[in-house]
Amino acid sequence: MHEAESGLPKAAEGQGVARVVAITAVILLVAGSTPGQASGFTSGWEVVESGTSEDLLTAANFGGQVWAFGTGGVILNSIDNGISWENTDSPTTSDIRYSDSDFGSLIISGDSGLVLLKSGVDAEWTDISLPGDSQVNGISLTGGQSAIAVGNNGTIWELEEGEWTEISLSIESDLLGVSFIDENLGIVVGSDGTILFSDDGGENWEYREAPEGASDSNIVSVEFYSSTRIYAITDDGSILISMSNVVTGTDVGYVWTLVEFERHYPPGTNEYILGPENLDVELTSVEVVSTSKLLMTGAGGYLSMSINGGTIVSQQINPLGNETSFNGIVMVTGFTGIAIGDGGSILWTDNAGADDQVGFVVPEYGNFGVFVDETKEMFLSGFIATLKIVAFGIVLGFFLGVTLAMCKTSPTSLRYIVERYEPRNVRIVGIPILGAGIFQIYSAIPGTTDLGLQGIEYIFLPVGAPESFLRILLGIALTFVGLLFLSNDGEFAKIRIKSISLNPWRVRPLNTIATVYTDFFRNTPLIVQFLFIHFGVRLGALIQGPGLDIFSFENLEGNHNFLTDIFARYDYSESNYGTLVGGVLYDSAFISAICALGFNSGAYQCETIRGAIQAIPSAQMEAGRSIGLTYLQTMRRVIMPQAIRICIPPMGNEMVNLVLNSSLAMIIGYAELTRQGKLIVASTFQYAYAWGMVLISYFVVTWTLALFLRWMEEKTRIPGLGMTGGN
Amino acid sequence: MSGKVLEINDLHMVYSGGVHAVRGISFNVNEGESVAIIGSSGSGKSTVLRCINRLIEPTGGEIYLKGEQVNTPHTDINNLRSRIGMVFQSFELFAHLKVLDNVTLGLRQVRKMSKREAEEQALAVLERVDMLDRIDAYPGNLSGGQKQRVAIARALAMKPEVLLFDEPTSALDPELIGSVLKTIRGLADEGMTMVVVTHEISFARDVADRVIYMDQGVVAETGPSSIIDNPETERLKKFLSSINEEN
Repeated sequence: MHEAESGLPKAAEGQGVARVVAITAVILLVAGSTPGQASGFTSGWEVVESGTSEDLLTAANFGGQVWAFGTGGVILNSIDNGISWENTDSPTTSDIRYSDSDFGSLIISGDSGLVLLKSGVDAEWTDISLPGDSQVNGISLTGGQSAIAVGNNGTIWELEEGEWTEISLSIESDLLGVSFIDENLGIVVGSDGTILFSDDGGENWEYREAPEGASDSNIVSVEFYSSTRIYAITDDGSILISMSNVVTGTDVGYVWTLVEFERHYPPGTNEYILGPENLDVELTSVEVVSTSKLLMTGAGGYLSMSINGGTIVSQQINPLGNETSFNGIVMVTGFTGIAIGDGGSILWTDNAGADDQVGFVVPEYGNFGVFVDETKEMFLSGFIATLKIVAFGIVLGFFLGVTLAMCKTSPTSLRYIVERYEPRNVRIVGIPILGAGIFQIYSAIPGTTDLGLQGIEYIFLPVGAPESFLRILLGIALTFVGLLFLSNDGEFAKIRIKSISLNPWRVRPLNTIATVYTDFFRNTPLIVQFLFIHFGVRLGALIQGPGLDIFSFENLEGNHNFLTDIFARYDYSESNYGTLVGGVLYDSAFISAICALGFNSGAYQCETIRGAIQAIPSAQMEAGRSIGLTYLQTMRRVIMPQAIRICIPPMGNEMVNLVLNSSLAMIIGYAELTRQGKLIVASTFQYAYAWGMVLISYFVVTWTLALFLRWMEEKTRIPGLGMTGGN
Repeated sequence: MSGKVLEINDLHMVYSGGVHAVRGISFNVNEGESVAIIGSSGSGKSTVLRCINRLIEPTGGEIYLKGEQVNTPHTDINNLRSRIGMVFQSFELFAHLKVLDNVTLGLRQVRKMSKREAEEQALAVLERVDMLDRIDAYPGNLSGGQKQRVAIARALAMKPEVLLFDEPTSALDPELIGSVLKTIRGLADEGMTMVVVTHEISFARDVADRVIYMDQGVVAETGPSSIIDNPETERLKKFLSSINEEN
């Protein structure tokens, strides 16, 4: 008989395992057998006829026309935004390398100190060249008749009223680029990470520190785009950015950072390089189109665009092949513009050069195989994120649930607390407690009346003055206890008012606290709890800060283990040494989600566990106590082990609910499964596929959990304990 | 017979509902003595027993265990309880623990014994109640008589100074009562101090050194076990005859 009993659960367990294996196999088959997607791209750039074979080196927008300049002093101009070009008379045969237009003027500079100025579309070129041995590396207008030019060995020339003056800075670095946003604010960059800033039109220059990692780089070009944003590029493929910071009150140009690349898309593909250290190209110029949209050129025909300040860079198809290098881009609007290059090459675009997809423009998401293939990564990351909050939520919820259930069933009443003491002593202790209670209420009154609430509005007091509200609650509790203690005569009698009789001594403080907690969390919507905890209390951020101080890289370096990795995981590989890459503390929304789920589930689990505790005959407690165990020992060794077994089935409900409730974490921006599903729908419009897959994914999680709990139930079943309907 | 193990003076118990279950009971239990408390149901027998180890808090009177007062708020009640063994009417074995673990739980947790020590002591006690062959069974797989013997072993393992039996056989089938009574009788013969609340009149007559007859919360008659054959008071006579009618 005994053997038969232990044999049966094993058979059931075997079935369960087989089911899990079968499901897993099906999922793997589905994931593995999806066909790849075929697609093609064409360049977003169009080749236009320039009428010259000189290398074009620089271009500018000026007077409603587009201008291009190049070797041999060639000057081209286009009156139709760069589609057709005309060769204009040039006053020079020197190579023209740099240009700038602003304040109604156009300035160009080139070899042998050549500088030409045009003060209007119809005006003639004025020759304001520097001495013949000057090598100009960049030029920028600071007014209609004034400009700043930079050169090797820290040379800066300032043009004012037709006269050049040389500003000596005693810098050895070569200065490679200059950009002014108005008459005063300007930026100069150069070799060895040189960044100089001027706020007086170029008279005086101050050093700015290049970000770590760019201090040895040659910063070859810079664009002072706006009063909030400056971009610069290096010849080793990095982008530097400087932003104004409203919070700290820092103006633009002070703090420089290297753009961290998230993805770099090679031309004509949807497959990207994840988190490259640099763009692996010698960048030559940058054109900033809007605050976060930039186009770049580089050696070897490199053309690229980023629409988010450089973190995701898409290299564009160069229709002329990689032999033709491009030297500059000029945009007339956010989308229309030209790129100019060697051999008189001019490319024109009206979609900022973005690659056009051919074949099908969008992957054929209607084909389920394609859909799965395209979206499985997003699904998987959402799936894992959901598993993560669920796992932590269950642990937190169970811990809270057990604690609260113990509090609720605790027999510790006020009478129990005081009855071992002399009534006189209890009365003496009552005095300070009463005093403290009244003081708490009294001191909280200003905080509440200051709010100017009226009547029913006082229901929102906990929001308006949380501290005062807590003080009032505490004050009421202390006053009650104090008055009770003061009235203690050792009788612990009931209070009778007409037909109602109450015994205040039977109040159980732990039970009261736990009841307030569970009532609150069970009587408010979980989605609002999510919002309040994450955005209102900012609990995630509150835990994240101090948490990361404890689990900081300095503390963990060298002695991290799998336990600390749960909280904070750092990258120990060479490329990103010391960056936080994972762990609970990585994301404040993650922390908030765990807390909200755990707090809420704890309230429900508490009631489930309490029910199970109450289902254990009280004589079990008596039996435990009668052999000398304390209350807590009996709870732990006798009551709980039986109660937990009883509450496994209803706990299954709670766990499944917790998994399903985790979908609400999307509201605080946590990228769990439902949120990923929503994002997938937004980009594919395949409602049935996306939501169907989300449904199945949830089913897999909850069903696995249910199987696990069923297995637990079998495994922990005790013969003779409760009706099971089975053996 | 030397020294009082239990001394009960003027014990009162008023339940919170207002039922005055015990109205001033006094008796002593001497070392090695076995006392049987008999009486009709509702007479307060079990209440007296539960008051002794304060599973119920008496509302009046004093209880002493070897001169130490049991019912003051200052006593270390857990220590005292571990010195007073209790056997329940419905066994109250810990259903999730095997027989051996039921017996060792108190030894491990209260007496802080090592696992080996506790098991040795438990096995010795289980041998005394003749349950050595079922030490790995769960209570759910035992018969009532076996359960009660394990419960006795559980109480006995703590080496109590006095053993309280709360109607140990009344939840058992008649054919299972014998083994339990035999065990209790064996303990009495070995000189265990015991207080037995029982309906088994014959058992009280054979085993008890002294019989206390309770009626309506007071001691109606007390004396050596011979009073069962020769009751002095009308009330006891009536009680005994009603029991004999049942049998």
